[in-house]
Amino acid sequence: MRVIHYLNQFFGGLGGEEKAGTPLETRDGAIGPGKLLEQLLGAEARLVMTLICGDNYAVENQESLIAAALEKIRACNADLFVAGPCFLAGRYGVAAGALGSAVQSQIGIPVVTGMARENPGADLYREPLYIIDSGDSAAQMRDVLEKMAHLAVKLMRHEPIGFPAEEGYIARGLIRDQFVEKSAAERLVEMVLAKTRGEPFETEMAPATFQPVPMPAGIKDLRNAKVMLITDGGLVPKGNPDKIQGSAATRWGSYSIKDCDDLKSEDYEISHGGYDPQFVRQDPDRLVPLDVLRELESEGAIGALCDEFISTSGLANPLSNTRRMGREMADKVKRLGIDAVILTST
Amino acid sequence: MPLTLAIHPITEICFGKRLDLAGKRLVVDAAELSRLILEDGVIEAVDFQIARPGESCRAGPIFDIVEPRAKAPGGSPDWPGIIGPPQTAGSGTTHVLSGAAVTALREESPGDSRGATGYVLEMSGAAATGSRYAALHHLIVIPHTRGDLPIHSRHKAYRSAQLKVAVHLARAAFDKSPERAETFELAAPGDRSGLPRIAYIGQIFSRQRKPEADEQIIYGADTDGLLPTLLHPNEWLDGAVVTSYHTSLGGAETYFYQNHPVILELYRRHRADEINFVGTVATIASANNFDRERNTRFSANLVKWALRADAAVLTKFGGGVPHTDLSETARLLECDGIKTAVQVTDLARDHRVESALLFNFPEVNAIVCVGGNSTNWTLPPVERVIAANSGLAELLAGPFEIESLNVVGVANQQGASRLRSMVY
Repeated sequence: MRVIHYLNQFFGGLGGEEKAGTPLETRDGAIGPGKLLEQLLGAEARLVMTLICGDNYAVENQESLIAAALEKIRACNADLFVAGPCFLAGRYGVAAGALGSAVQSQIGIPVVTGMARENPGADLYREPLYIIDSGDSAAQMRDVLEKMAHLAVKLMRHEPIGFPAEEGYIARGLIRDQFVEKSAAERLVEMVLAKTRGEPFETEMAPATFQPVPMPAGIKDLRNAKVMLITDGGLVPKGNPDKIQGSAATRWGSYSIKDCDDLKSEDYEISHGGYDPQFVRQDPDRLVPLDVLRELESEGAIGALCDEFISTSGLANPLSNTRRMGREMADKVKRLGIDAVILTST
Repeated sequence: MPLTLAIHPITEICFGKRLDLAGKRLVVDAAELSRLILEDGVIEAVDFQIARPGESCRAGPIFDIVEPRAKAPGGSPDWPGIIGPPQTAGSGTTHVLSGAAVTALREESPGDSRGATGYVLEMSGAAATGSRYAALHHLIVIPHTRGDLPIHSRHKAYRSAQLKVAVHLARAAFDKSPERAETFELAAPGDRSGLPRIAYIGQIFSRQRKPEADEQIIYGADTDGLLPTLLHPNEWLDGAVVTSYHTSLGGAETYFYQNHPVILELYRRHRADEINFVGTVATIASANNFDRERNTRFSANLVKWALRADAAVLTKFGGGVPHTDLSETARLLECDGIKTAVQVTDLARDHRVESALLFNFPEVNAIVCVGGNSTNWTLPPVERVIAANSGLAELLAGPFEIESLNVVGVANQQGASRLRSMVY
């Protein structure tokens, strides 16, 4: 087992903050904490190379650091990449995460790192990477390296990886299924009883919290504004040319309404499995109110209506998906010079 | 109103000349059952097959699964509002053929967004281990309806046929002595003071679609215009509620209203003198905010003022939107000091925690999550595929990939599922 280890200038023995600008350097074999890591990985493991880079250099030159490191790791024929542990060192954590994530996706070998939960690198890379929760004190080095080595060996052997509490990594925010002893009903009643008695209980799912979306500035003069209609109600031209899925859609479409004042039911269909579409089928303007917008346009209440409307299906869609589609739609809206969008849903 | 279940365990079903319960062996007369089903004139022909636990056998698409039960004379009617008069269910003695099921098939693929196979009953292999239905002896009812009927009329015919067969079979137990009897009763007013008063709120329909006018869900009513309503737990167990023609995300079957996992667990705790199970509310998930605002308040108020509960458990029906009714009801209860725990289905097809729930209320912090999105199986070819026609049999022949959500029972939303979403 050929292992490559990444350290910052401090743990790599180059020096403190004054050496934070040092570009990527390599050493044969293990350095500093790498020596213990090599031992803990077992007799078959050989720490063949240590990569060392200054924290400032790593953050300021992330792309070139990654390119240079990937080249060296490939040339080494490594089986495992370990970075850190970085504890609370933020720049070190971000570099370890970025590097680990690139190695994992581009070279495809197992990667393990370690950081404190509060390390900004943990927030950024906890989903793609196994990050052992190191706490903030380097005095725990041995304990942290033991957990990192244990997890690394499991990954190398393709053994199933346990839950965060068992393995010591920071929860990745992912879900997997497991058959359990107790039925959902038993767990449900158990949970409410614990809550009622004031005893501790553990929820099986925690709601996600999201950054509030800032309110955009208001439109000063609607009479000169270019307006666009966007819907997630799944209205598509007959035949569904973009094959927008009726549930968990990965696609969206933009459809011409040029020279059209009224959407005709014979021209459209609904691709959406989550509401009763009969009323929109009778009259698509109920979902995409083209008729009213044309009136407002001719009255001069709005400047102009965009020649296209955008549609997708908003049902059971994971956020990773809707975020991407939202960005793509926003790009298009910007490109078209739209001032205001009316979003209609079901 | 005490309800006594007289339990007759069944370990074998076979065809014979005359209906008979011989020990734990149920002999079924297929010709007699056919006559019973064909008398309505909607179903033109019907076939029956038997599926046994562990057999290399698969059936689908499943319309519904029902436990054969029959009311002894003197109690409430069988399936009130559907095949009996709409009188209160849940009193007297009910004979139960435990371990048996009457399982009706559909004649067409539901073709929903999550798979053309619909719900599949798998009797052996890896997928079967996740479903309690794989441990039952099924009499499969395979209806062939007149071609000129709208789909909802066929569904109504399936329901009526299935319930009639289930009652008819269980009547074989009338003159037999049950292996055991279990009586279900709530506390008299004033009893059990000092124990926490716990209620159950269950969604029985979701307005993501409009029910068919002849769709019989609660005492024969289609739930259109239904406000949250109080039910004695025995009403659920004894035929007041059947499932909708369409369910999603793991589903709900009539079998698990008769054997309601949440209600049975609350009764178990009640008998163990841990709680005072005070009653239930049946409700529906709304299609719009107006209905939601009204209905969630009605549910919360019933629990608060009519049941005077200290805590409530809540389950949902259907897809994603019912999360909002469920969580808003729980939030309202929590604001009134009534503790809650809710059961949801995992909505995260990208396997990310951030996509799992459709609510974020700090008060709604006790959540049981039924999994399903990361469990798939490749179903192998089996010796016997039971389906209503050759096209469906071909569809189910295997090998094919199936999501756990489409193997009936595995991700069940009534509390029966043992598949759990684990965060890592």
